[in-house]
Amino acid sequence: VNPFAVLGIEETAGDDAVRVAYLAAVRRSPPDRDPDGFRRVREAYEAVRDEERRFALRVFGPAPLDPEALLDLVADERRHVGPASWLAVLRGDRR
Amino acid sequence: MSKRDKRRAHHRGAALLAGPDETTARVRALIASGKTREALELAKQLFKETRSAEAEALVLVAYEARVGALLAAGQHQEASALAAVIGERFPAHRARIATLVNRSRAIASGDLRELIAELATAAAPRRQEIESVLTRELRDPRMLADAEGLAADHPLRSAARAVAELFTAVTSGPLPDGALAALDRISRRSPLSPWKLLIRALDAYYHRDDGAAIANLDAIPADSGPARLMPVLRHLIGDPAPLDQRSVPIAMLVKDVTAGRGVVRGHMRRLVRALAAGDQATAVSAVERIVPLLALERSSVKRTFAVTVLEQWMRAGLNPTPLMQALLRDRRDVEWQRDAPRLLALTFERAGFWDEALLLWDAYLTTALRAGVLPPTGPAPSRVLLHMAGLFPSDRDQVLDAFDVDSDDELEEAIAAGERPECADRGRLLARARDADPGPRAYRALVAHWEPRDARRAEAEAEAWRRAHPHDLEPLLYLARAAERRGAHRSALDLLDDAEAINRVHPEVRQSRFRLLLASAERRIREGRFALALADLDRLDKETAATTGDTFAYLGALRGVAMRRNGDGAAALALQEELAARLGNRTLLALILESVAAAFGLELPKANGPASQVEAIVALGRASELLRALERPITVPQALLAQVERDQGGVSPADLHALCEAGLAIGRPELTYRASGRGLAADGPLLHRFLLARGRALAGAAAQRDRDRAQRCLLAARDLAGRARDMDAVSAASAALETAARSRELDSLRMYPRFEAATPLTQEEIASLVATERADDRVPRFASAKSGRKRQRSSRRQRDLFDDFVAFLEKSS
Repeated sequence: VNPFAVLGIEETAGDDAVRVAYLAAVRRSPPDRDPDGFRRVREAYEAVRDEERRFALRVFGPAPLDPEALLDLVADERRHVGPASWLAVLRGDRR
Repeated sequence: MSKRDKRRAHHRGAALLAGPDETTARVRALIASGKTREALELAKQLFKETRSAEAEALVLVAYEARVGALLAAGQHQEASALAAVIGERFPAHRARIATLVNRSRAIASGDLRELIAELATAAAPRRQEIESVLTRELRDPRMLADAEGLAADHPLRSAARAVAELFTAVTSGPLPDGALAALDRISRRSPLSPWKLLIRALDAYYHRDDGAAIANLDAIPADSGPARLMPVLRHLIGDPAPLDQRSVPIAMLVKDVTAGRGVVRGHMRRLVRALAAGDQATAVSAVERIVPLLALERSSVKRTFAVTVLEQWMRAGLNPTPLMQALLRDRRDVEWQRDAPRLLALTFERAGFWDEALLLWDAYLTTALRAGVLPPTGPAPSRVLLHMAGLFPSDRDQVLDAFDVDSDDELEEAIAAGERPECADRGRLLARARDADPGPRAYRALVAHWEPRDARRAEAEAEAWRRAHPHDLEPLLYLARAAERRGAHRSALDLLDDAEAINRVHPEVRQSRFRLLLASAERRIREGRFALALADLDRLDKETAATTGDTFAYLGALRGVAMRRNGDGAAALALQEELAARLGNRTLLALILESVAAAFGLELPKANGPASQVEAIVALGRASELLRALERPITVPQALLAQVERDQGGVSPADLHALCEAGLAIGRPELTYRASGRGLAADGPLLHRFLLARGRALAGAAAQRDRDRAQRCLLAARDLAGRARDMDAVSAASAALETAARSRELDSLRMYPRFEAATPLTQEEIASLVATERADDRVPRFASAKSGRKRQRSSRRQRDLFDDFVAFLEKSS
C-alpha cells in the first residue's frame, strides 16, 4: 500500500502537510469505528512522518507488487455520471 | 417436400375445398390465434382464386396482421419490406399501409408513443402484443412515464415514473436505504420488469456488491431493452470478455464511469495474463497502451507499475529492450526518463545483482545531481551514496570478480586509467557521502569500511568523526578500543575518561572500562608488575561485569598467575581450590586455567584425572561461553575434545546449547551438528536455538545439498525465534542467512537465484524440516579452510541482458 496514496498527499509534501493529512484521515477513520482503516492510516503516517522516511520511500522505493496486484494499482473508479450516458447506450443501434 | 411446403399445400387444398365464407372464417380464426403466416397464405390463395373485393379486403387484413406480428417480434426490417410489397401490389391501399410502415419505422427508431397510446384502448390480445413490444423496445422509461396517450394514473405509467426516477437517481448518486422498495410493485410480467432488474444491478454495482449485480444482470431477458447495457456493466465489473468499444456511446460510458481507468484496467488484465504466459509481444503491446494512460495518475503509480513489470520481466527471462522502449517511449516526460535508471537499479538490486545495480545507481545519481533533482550536498545525496556503498558484498573476492581484477591495487589502477567507474571504489563512495553530509552515519560507514583494510585510516576517520561530533560517544569508544588493540592502554583509558565525562552509565562505556582494566591487568602480568596487576584485578572485582556468569573464574585464574609468578604458589593453590568449589566443575576450571596459561606462555601440571562425560560437556560449553564473552582465546586439550565428540548425552538443553556454540567457536562444526541433533530430539523451548546452531554449522558444509539444508534450518529458526520473542536469535538467524546468501555461488542456469532465497517456510514445512533433521544422524562433510581465490563471473545470459539495458539507456540519453 502506498502510504502517500493512503494519506492523499503528494510525495513532495512537507511535515506540516503530512500531519494535516494524517489528522484528517484519522477523523475519517477513527480507531473506535474503523479500526482497520485507522491501522492503515497510522502505518502510512509512520512511513512518511519525517523527511528522512519520505526520502527513503521516494528514492529507494517503490517495492514491486505481485503481478495480480497490478489491477489494484489503478483504483476501480465507479463514478455516478447521471442517466444520459447510460441512456445513450440504450438508445444506440444494437446492430 | 418440406414441412412448410406441406403446410402451404394443406391450406391451399383447404381453400380449394371450402367455400369463400368458410375460408374467410378460417383466415380470421387463424389471425385471432396468432397464426398470421398461415392466415396470410390462405387469404392470398382465396384472393388468387376469386379476385373478389371481399377476398381483397380479407388479404389486406391478413397482411396487416402479419406486419403487426412481425413488428411484435421486433422484425422491423422484415415488417417494412412486407409493407412496401403490399403498397406495390395494392396501390389503392397504399395510404392504409403507409400507417403500418410508419409505425414500424417509429418503433425501430425507439418512438413508441403511438403504440403506447394504443394501450389505453387495446383489447387483451393486442395489449399483450404491445407490452411485448414495449419489453423489447423501450429504451428510456421516461417515454412511458411521460406518455400523454395514457392516463396519468394508468398503472404502467405510474410504474414507469417510479422506474425513470430511480434510474436517474441510481446513476446520479448513492441511493438512500429503502429506495428500491418502489420497484417491488412491478410484477415479473410487466414490460418494466427488466428495468427493475437493471436498476437493482446498477445499485449493486455502485455499492461494489458485484455478485448481486451479476445475479440481477443474469435475470434480465436477453431480448429486452435494458439487455443492451448487460455487456457494458459486465465489463465494468471486470468480466474478461472483450467489449466492443467501437460504439461511441459505449466507449464514452466506460470512460466516464471509470474516469478512464476501465481502459487501463483492461490492458492491465491483458498484461498480467501475458506475463503469466510469457507472451512477450502481447505484454509489450499492453505496456505501450498502459504507460500513456498512467500519465493522469500519481507518479508513484507509474513507478510501482514499472518496477513490478520489470521484476516480472526479469523473472520470465524476456528481452528487456522492447520493454524499455515501451516504458520510455514518451520523450517529453523528462522526469520519467531521468527516473528510469533508478527503477532499473532497484530491480537489479532486488534480484541480487549488486554490481549492475551499482552502475545504474551511479547513472541515476549523476543525472539527478546534474538536473538539480538532488542537491549537491546534504543528507539526500549522502544517503544515495551510502546506499550504493551498502550494495558491495562483504566478500572482497566477489567485488574483485565483479570488476574483473585480481587485487585492490589493480582495481585502483583501472579506476585511475578510466577503465573502471569510480563507483567501483567503495571507500571513495563513502568519502563522497561524508563530504556531502558529515553526519555520524557516513563516518560510521567509513570507519567500518577501513577497519579490516587499514586500521590507521579507520582511526583517522574516527578521529575526524570525534572532532566533528565531540559529544558523540561512538567515535570515542572506537578510538579507545583501537588504542587498546595497539597496546596503548594509557591512551585508551584517557579516551574512556572522555567517554565517561559524556555518559558514565552507558553500558558500553562501563563494559569498556572492564575490558580496559582487564587488558591492563594482563599487560602488567606480562611485564612482571604483579602488584599493579593485582590492584587492577581488585578494581575489576568491583565492576558489575565481574559478577556475571563465570567471569570471576577468569579473573581468579589471572590472579593465580600473578600470585604464582610473584612467588606465592601456596596462595595460588588455595585460590585454585576456592575457584573449583565455586565453579563446581574441576574440568571447567582446568580449561580456564589452561587457556589463561597458554595466553601467558605458561605450562600447568596435569592435575586432573579423566572427567565424567557430563562434566566434560558442561565444562567445554561454559568455558567457551566465558572466553567468547571476554574475547579471549580458548585452549581445548585434544583428549577432552575427543571425549566430548564421542557422546553428548545426559546434559541439560542449556548445556547442550552451550556446547553447540562451543563447537562453532572452536571451529568444530561436526560437534555443533551432533549437539544440535541431540537438542532437536529433546523438543523443548530451545528448539529454535538448536535449529539455528544446526543451520550455522551446515552453512559450512562441503555439499550444496547440505548448504541448502542450512538455509532452510535458518529460515525455520528465524520464524520460530520470532514466535518465541527471542530477538537475539532472530538477529543471529537473519545475519547467518545474509552471509549464506552472499557466499552462495550464482547458478549459471538460473538468472535470478536471489528471488527464491528468502521465501519463508510454512508451518507445515517447518514441522517437516524439524522431523527430517531429527531423523538425520549422518554427519555431513564440512569444508576445510578457504582455498585460493578462484575468479568467478556471473552468468553470461545475465550479462547480455544487462548490456542490452545499458545500451538502450545510452541510446535513449
